[in-house]
Amino acid sequence: MTDLEVAVTGIGLVTPAGIGIEPTWQGVCAGVPTAATDPELAGLPVDISCRVPSFDPRALLGRRATMSYDRFTQLALVASGEAIADAGLDPSTWDGARVAVVVGNGVGGAATWETQYRRMLDGGPRTVSPLLIPMLIPNMVAGNVAIRFGATGPNLVTATACASGATAIGTARDLLRRNVCDIVLTGGVEAGVAPLMVTGFAQMGALSNRTDSPARASRPFDVDRDGFVMSEGSAMLVLERPGDARARGARIRAHLAGYGASADAHHMTAPDPSGNGVERAIRHALAEAGLGPDDITHVNAHGTSTPLNDRAEANVIARCLGGAPAVTSVKGVLGHSLGAAGAIEAALTVLTIEHGLIPPTANLERQDPEIAIDVVTAKARPQRVDAALSNSFGFGGHNTVLAFTAA
Amino acid sequence: MTNAYKQLADILVTRFEVEPEELRPDVTFEELELDSLFLVELGLVLEQDLGVKITEEDATPRSTVRSVADLIEARLPASA
Repeated sequence: MTDLEVAVTGIGLVTPAGIGIEPTWQGVCAGVPTAATDPELAGLPVDISCRVPSFDPRALLGRRATMSYDRFTQLALVASGEAIADAGLDPSTWDGARVAVVVGNGVGGAATWETQYRRMLDGGPRTVSPLLIPMLIPNMVAGNVAIRFGATGPNLVTATACASGATAIGTARDLLRRNVCDIVLTGGVEAGVAPLMVTGFAQMGALSNRTDSPARASRPFDVDRDGFVMSEGSAMLVLERPGDARARGARIRAHLAGYGASADAHHMTAPDPSGNGVERAIRHALAEAGLGPDDITHVNAHGTSTPLNDRAEANVIARCLGGAPAVTSVKGVLGHSLGAAGAIEAALTVLTIEHGLIPPTANLERQDPEIAIDVVTAKARPQRVDAALSNSFGFGGHNTVLAFTAA
Repeated sequence: MTNAYKQLADILVTRFEVEPEELRPDVTFEELELDSLFLVELGLVLEQDLGVKITEEDATPRSTVRSVADLIEARLPASA
């Protein structure tokens, strides 16, 4: 164990595969894609998405959850509640000043922004809700987690686009290691499936145009991949120093052993084809974890299903990790939830280590011949995993790599 | 019960998630967990739905539902 290592003692998941750890894990392992035609996107060139099913804010969060919170805050509050319970913690008795909150988010309250802007155009400025700002600003998710659970330690939101959730977890680890808190609630959230936002991603050519067969649209590493499918969701983790976790008898699901971060400084949205930035992040995470490149037997890839990402990422994995790790991308099932993805995938990496079962990459029918890595496909692969990486990359050239090890 | 009270009660239940059994003429907005931000929103809804202007000074968290209903009653356009 290194002195940077922290314990994962709780997980909460809200994803298109379901609300909760179990439905999400079952859905991801079954490999059944969640993408579908989205009525809220009707009439747009790209009208498919992955949505959290049957999410009832009032039933899950109580009165005025719909009026007070944008969906991104709602999703994270539900995930936080599950993570706290999963860790066996009780917010009514904890020392809130020693509880930090770090949440990654990409676009804030996108749907609220769009709805209220339309209200202003249609009805004039006097019709704009006074709740607009508290609903849409991205940091409000961390603020509301603090209010709901009485967490008065350091509190912030990280924004590194599609790496935000992973950046949050790495940042949270640093807060624990600086000893400014004893417990961190950390993860990511996104609810960016709104007409303008989806259209923006479509206009840059990032999204799959396979709108006639949505279930087949997100196909990481497949030769016929043509972009990602917009998704939503949240994952929250409870992190503690291993000694603290053991002292209170907590179940340690896995350890976060290393965190590597770098910037490509190459292009606003395209990954650096050399993969040098990703390689530096991987090597840093390995060094922190005290692991060699051959020790990694599983990689939960960023694997967005865009032509550029998947090839560049596969090349770096093949080049840097000598142990021929079994790679998967859960985005074939869940789509791409932007700022939530890194946290959801971190949580799923922890579950993979715990269960000794690697979820399949949905829709991988014919692997791109230029991609020379071992990708798990068709069905979940039983395999013992002692050390794994979870990769996340964001527009802007952000690279974040988390290394997890078995408890 | 004035017509305005019924209209206000209806808006509070359907738009502001107030439970019908909580509603009484002398209950305050604070007791219904409606803070000043919600009351600004309520003002917008009243203006849009009833054509009545209720300001932040008219409806504060300590105002009762009846007091605001009385203001609405007094200010309702003749045709309403």
